[in-house]
Amino acid sequence: MKHLVGQAKLVCTKVDLLSLYDIHGLSSGKDFDFSTTALPEDVRPQIHREEPTRAGIPSQELEPQQQRPGASFHSLESIWDDKSPFSVLPRTNGSHRAAEQRPSASHAFSPFTGQTQDSHAGAGQTTSQPLHLGGVHSQGVRTLEEIEAEMRQAFAAQRNQNISPSQPAQARVSQGRGTPQLQQRYAPQPEAPTPPPRMHPHAQSPRFHQYQQQEQIQLLEQQRQRQIAEIRAQERRQQQQLQLLELQEQLRVEEYERERDRERQRHIRATQQAQQLQQAQQLQQTQYIQQRQPSGRLTPSVAELQQRRYGHQSPANVQAQPDAPFQQSMQYLPRDIQMQQRLLAEMAQAEFLTSMQGSASPALYNTSNEVEEDREQQETLRAEAMRKIMEAERMEEKRRRKLEKIRYMSRYNDLMTQSDKDFITRIQVSQLVTQDPYTDDFYAQVYGAVMRSRMGVSVPDPVLKFGSVGGVGLGVSQVKGGRRPSAMQRMEAQVERIVNNARLREKEKTSLNSLQGALGKTAGRSYKAAPRQLLQVDANGATASPTLSHAAAHSHISKADAKTEGTRADAAAEAAKMGRQALGGTATGPARREPLTQRETLVKLEMLYDLVLELEQQRRDQPPDEEVEATAAWEKHFEETVEEIWDALQVMVPLDTSDPHPFISLITPIKGKRLLPRVTRHFSSEQSLTLLTLLVACFSQLDVVVNSYLLDILTDSQERRDVEMQTQAFLGSVMQSILPIGATASLRLVSGMLGVFLERNEIEVIARTRPGIALLTLFLSRVEVINQSMANATDPSELPAPEDLEQWQLMFEHFFELITPHLPYLFPSVRQAINSGGIPVTEIPDMDTIDQPVWQFLATLSLNSSLEQQQVLVTSLRDRVLDNVASASKAWSISDEETRKTRLSNVNIFLHALGLDSSQIAM
Amino acid sequence: MDPSSGIQEPFDLIRLSLSERVFVKLRGDRELTGILHAYDGHMNLILSDVEETIMIVEQVEGAPEGQSTVNIAKRKMNMLFVRGDGVILVSPPSRT
Repeated sequence: MKHLVGQAKLVCTKVDLLSLYDIHGLSSGKDFDFSTTALPEDVRPQIHREEPTRAGIPSQELEPQQQRPGASFHSLESIWDDKSPFSVLPRTNGSHRAAEQRPSASHAFSPFTGQTQDSHAGAGQTTSQPLHLGGVHSQGVRTLEEIEAEMRQAFAAQRNQNISPSQPAQARVSQGRGTPQLQQRYAPQPEAPTPPPRMHPHAQSPRFHQYQQQEQIQLLEQQRQRQIAEIRAQERRQQQQLQLLELQEQLRVEEYERERDRERQRHIRATQQAQQLQQAQQLQQTQYIQQRQPSGRLTPSVAELQQRRYGHQSPANVQAQPDAPFQQSMQYLPRDIQMQQRLLAEMAQAEFLTSMQGSASPALYNTSNEVEEDREQQETLRAEAMRKIMEAERMEEKRRRKLEKIRYMSRYNDLMTQSDKDFITRIQVSQLVTQDPYTDDFYAQVYGAVMRSRMGVSVPDPVLKFGSVGGVGLGVSQVKGGRRPSAMQRMEAQVERIVNNARLREKEKTSLNSLQGALGKTAGRSYKAAPRQLLQVDANGATASPTLSHAAAHSHISKADAKTEGTRADAAAEAAKMGRQALGGTATGPARREPLTQRETLVKLEMLYDLVLELEQQRRDQPPDEEVEATAAWEKHFEETVEEIWDALQVMVPLDTSDPHPFISLITPIKGKRLLPRVTRHFSSEQSLTLLTLLVACFSQLDVVVNSYLLDILTDSQERRDVEMQTQAFLGSVMQSILPIGATASLRLVSGMLGVFLERNEIEVIARTRPGIALLTLFLSRVEVINQSMANATDPSELPAPEDLEQWQLMFEHFFELITPHLPYLFPSVRQAINSGGIPVTEIPDMDTIDQPVWQFLATLSLNSSLEQQQVLVTSLRDRVLDNVASASKAWSISDEETRKTRLSNVNIFLHALGLDSSQIAM
Repeated sequence: MDPSSGIQEPFDLIRLSLSERVFVKLRGDRELTGILHAYDGHMNLILSDVEETIMIVEQVEGAPEGQSTVNIAKRKMNMLFVRGDGVILVSPPSRT
């Protein structure tokens, strides 16, 4: 067999060796069927006759091999001689056989391809019958020769198509082309008699078959259209060639005729001088118009002009006519040929013109001007024509490049079926889908929510899927979301489709033996023998690992359970202590204890954070309002958590329990300050008020107050930076949470709090701190608002009671007395100047920004003051005011405009409250 | 020791120091101080406002007894991610 195989290699160019073997396997185990061999002599001449008709290399290859056998051809044993397998061809024509057998043979390959074949055949080829290129052979065996002959025939058929385009040939060709295509498709597959499991029809999605059929229909449509297009293209090419030939002939004829007509035209020219002048003008006009026309129109119009100019002579006429049909077909022809023809035509015209000129010039000297004009005009015409050609070429280039790019980009189209794409999409989407987006990526979710609330108010839907990526992405980036929404929408559409497909499949799959309402796989095997137990997978995985809290250090929430126990125990201990105190009477006083250690504060703070996170998670899990029971239960749970937080903050602990108060200790670390606003938004107003009172009472214990002296030193250090950071955090977080309460407090409350403030703290120390100033400003401004509303109020019940007013007056006066001696030192710049030892106040860096709160405080102070008090204020602050105004007005001391403006405005804040203005101060 | 001890394992101690300034000792004679923002089971750390101190031990040629001087190089960074396997210890900053 080896030598046969070797020969086969020489001949077959396209057929796979494996396919050869497999085909042998199909042919009932016999390598060659020697049962019905016809006489070889009969066969050979026929083959010889057949081969030349199919021009091509394969036949040439056959010839030498066929000539080798010679005389020893009669016996069967001759097969084993060193001959080509083709010499043993037992039949006349293998091509038809092959074509006939191809469908049946291929059927065994795979049902998948068989499907297409069926539909292929069923959808209606141009010739449904197999090719009849020769006699039908009765052999039931496909042999090597058959395949090869078929292949060669396909080659030859293709070649035939190029040489002699005719309808029957085309039909043959399309068939022949169909078969190589099929061959190419089948060739790689033969080693798999069964298709890959993925490709089985029943394994595909329910919509797959629909897609299949649609695809096939489309495929057939495309093929048909392609055939039609090919036919048309051929026709056009023929026409093109014919026209080209025609045109060339015509040109030659014209030139010949021109020569003969020259004599005649000389006479005609003389008489037509006047006419020509006019026409020349017309020509110029039309030229200008032509410049704006597309280039394709130039040739016929030029031809027309020539027609007009040189009379109605036949050559020009003749030339015009072919131009018209020429132009029509121009749209269809390939562009380069079009271009060539255009060039040819124009060159011919140019020649014509020059020949005319050439012939005219010697005879007509008196028209030399005209000739020059003509020449110029012709030059311009030619130049314009050239320009238009160039332009057209450039456009052509662009178009070509664009088409090339499109072709390049789409070279890998249609590689995957829709089911393949769905498969991949399903995998990708399944990665995104999460039951609980908060467990997967908590910070992204929260960040997205914060961003969304800051920008537009968008719907905070608890998105089941796409909760992680989609919602956040859409919310944040709105500007560059030009393309992104569509990608998201597309993905969502795909997901929807996949989900629907899956749902349909599930519905189709569920039959009687599958149980309803079961999670997990059920219909895996028949339940006849022994029903398998159902898998109930709990979607809520959080409860699955309740006591592993100590192992999960990364999850705050998982330890919340353990922590809340601790909190409750702690609160219980506190309650017990307080109870003992109450019972024990006031003799012992509040149980004094050591302040919280650093460790203790941190532990408590972490517990608080756990509670707060739990609270916020509860808020997110809030059930809808329709479900009354669930809402009630949720609210109860929510309230409980808030209570726990309240207790954990230790606000209710008696004031003098420790120095600092436990609450103050909790507020000392920066994370304690940051925690407060998150907590107070859930508190009731009473609770918030209590908190404020506590804060006011223990103000001087705050670290920001205690360490504020560091801020007055100009030298930088780590501690100073820390204090700065702490102060910032305090002003940003704690004061923010206090503001709503302070802004709505009654006069009585305010005066009460001021009283406590003054009583328990040293005002001079407090007033030198930024937090202190902030708090005082808050109080005073609130009172001012109350006063103003008093003036506008119509409803008498809103007005504060007279005793409140009195109380406030007393308090205020007390406060005023206390503060007045320290007024200049309220300014941070002053303090810094003093501490730095000699730098004038106005040269302290950032003086204006750090002083501004103080100026505001002074303004509120003066608003509440009586006239005498204002006098006092002015007297004490005179130096400061004058300093500022002076430095602001002097040009050389201050560098930029901003600083000057700020300085002046600072002073004006205060002066306007007094009813004065800085401009009144004369320098 | 702690009345309501939520601390059950060493990692909880690190947890207490979240958002606080910590001192970290690393392999390769390096030390960091920074504000701890996050950590995980590998002891990967995310710190901000970090100052790194590198101690360079050099042999002095002159003294044959092997005296070496220690030079210190410092650098500051805003945000830092520290790989856990280089961390030797994490502690609150030394209080005076």
